[in-house]
Amino acid sequence: MTVENNKSIDNELNSKFKLFSLSRVMAIAMNTFTQLVRMKVFYFLLIFSVLIIGANVLFLNFTFEQELKILQDVSFGAMTLFASIFSIVGTALLIPKDIEDRTLYSILTKPVPRFEYLVGKLLGILFLVAVSLLLMSILFFAVLFVRQHGILAEEINQMRGQPSQEQISSLREDIFAQGLRLELINGVVAVFLKAAVAAAIALVVSTFASSTLFTIIVSLVIYFIGHAQSMALNYYFPEGDMHGALQRFIAGIVAIIFPNLQIFNVVDGIVSGQSVPMSLMFRLTGLTGFYLFIYSFVSWVIFAKKEL
Amino acid sequence: MSKDLPTAVQIKNLTKIFPLPFRKEKVVAVDNLSLSVKPGEVYGLIGPNGSGKSTTMKVLLGLISATSGSSTVFGMSSTETASRGSVGFLPENPYFYKYLTGAETIAFYGKLCGLKRKAIKERTSELLNLVELEGARDRRLAGYSKGMLQRIGLAQALVGRPKLVVLDEPTAGVDPAGSRKIRDLIMQLKEQGITVILSSHLLEQVQEVCDRVGIIFEGKLVREGSLKKLIEIEDQTEIVLENAGSDLLKKISDLVNQESGVNLVRSGRPRTTLETLFLKETGGDSKDARNDS
Repeated sequence: MTVENNKSIDNELNSKFKLFSLSRVMAIAMNTFTQLVRMKVFYFLLIFSVLIIGANVLFLNFTFEQELKILQDVSFGAMTLFASIFSIVGTALLIPKDIEDRTLYSILTKPVPRFEYLVGKLLGILFLVAVSLLLMSILFFAVLFVRQHGILAEEINQMRGQPSQEQISSLREDIFAQGLRLELINGVVAVFLKAAVAAAIALVVSTFASSTLFTIIVSLVIYFIGHAQSMALNYYFPEGDMHGALQRFIAGIVAIIFPNLQIFNVVDGIVSGQSVPMSLMFRLTGLTGFYLFIYSFVSWVIFAKKEL
Repeated sequence: MSKDLPTAVQIKNLTKIFPLPFRKEKVVAVDNLSLSVKPGEVYGLIGPNGSGKSTTMKVLLGLISATSGSSTVFGMSSTETASRGSVGFLPENPYFYKYLTGAETIAFYGKLCGLKRKAIKERTSELLNLVELEGARDRRLAGYSKGMLQRIGLAQALVGRPKLVVLDEPTAGVDPAGSRKIRDLIMQLKEQGITVILSSHLLEQVQEVCDRVGIIFEGKLVREGSLKKLIEIEDQTEIVLENAGSDLLKKISDLVNQESGVNLVRSGRPRTTLETLFLKETGGDSKDARNDS
């Protein structure tokens, strides 16, 4: 180690403390991602593969419309399930564990503001969910691509005589319209956005929870209530009747504590062949951003005062 | 170097009270404690379990807030995150991320201290050499022994080139050879002018490395001062002779008995410590503890 090297290290260390440092946040995020990867969470891809291949094998005798729909239903269902589990269990597992194991001591006794720790953990989880969804999507789209070409070939074989080019084109159009299409990407994005909100819920809970189990249970309860939130609000405060300030206030508080997760369920429509307007995708992205901001802020308020 | 720096640690009238959930009583963990540590000093904080040592350290490190009083690190309030820039901390029984290797662990903490990629690489090698874990740099922490974990903990505490190192029970659960290595590292820090605060139950070790000692009991600092002064028995004098025969010893004894008011309290062969004997017999002084897993 030369004197020059020592000087350069000292200069880096003596540079002015930044209230927010993206490199510190990214260090925590990448460490969280590595932790989850080395916990072998990507083994779930095997389960996912079995599910979508199983969906193919089990429903061979259905019409091509049904077969493609089932494949997409199963794939999106599995993607939603895995993404939500990673978000909630991953967040619930990591932060309380850092506190229980006192690993947090060695992090927070470095010049790391508590807010950066929380944001880093959340980003790490979201990165894992994004990578998982990307891998699942590649697998899903590949199976769908192969299957739609397989179905086309089977359908042509079953046609009597020599089908005309026009007939083949029309058949291809019908099958491909229900197969691999750009609209599916919107479905994957919606699954990611919902998982991001679920992770943020778990983040808030983990800042005041005393254990991993408590965090998982409470987060799951909020997650499920979130799916019924809009229905309950419509029942108690029908759209036309929401006049009073108190009613609006209560509805607002309920919407913040229990986010409307049902709104993210656009995949059913996509699988049925409906198109999702871009305005809805922008709205969902904005809503996710709002919830991430609010929940991160609340987490910080609780965590900043937490006695470790 | 030390002369230009303000007091390394200044704790003034620190009180920490923990409320008990669902009960009216409160626990006073630290009671109006004041102490200061000079730059370059090795300060030992000793006391029985639950006496308030760890709570004092946690306040100093910003992990908990004081109920009243204040604490500063090199003149900066310890409630400010920036104050941690000059501090390195080794917690008691440290748990690091077991899925990381030794080198990755140092690199992770280096990033948190603001080091860039090239500097991290250099600092990682330097520290792994210092704590004699170069051979285990690519091994995951899950496979480290207690002593190795303690040393990697010390390495992460030093990654940001701290001016103050806080060690909470640095040798807890470590075998004598590993313990000696950690003691030697503390001595090296002292030589480099780094301020060290350590708490330990191993009083002999505290005695070996500390310049000053504070004794905490029931949250209060009951004694404080330079180690030499504290342990000195003022009305006794010790003479150690080499190759003295029984005749000479008898003469000395007779001479002492002639003086009024002077008593020969004890005479006999001085004893080595069990630790020294153990290290001598097991070759712990020279044997590399890298293989102590």
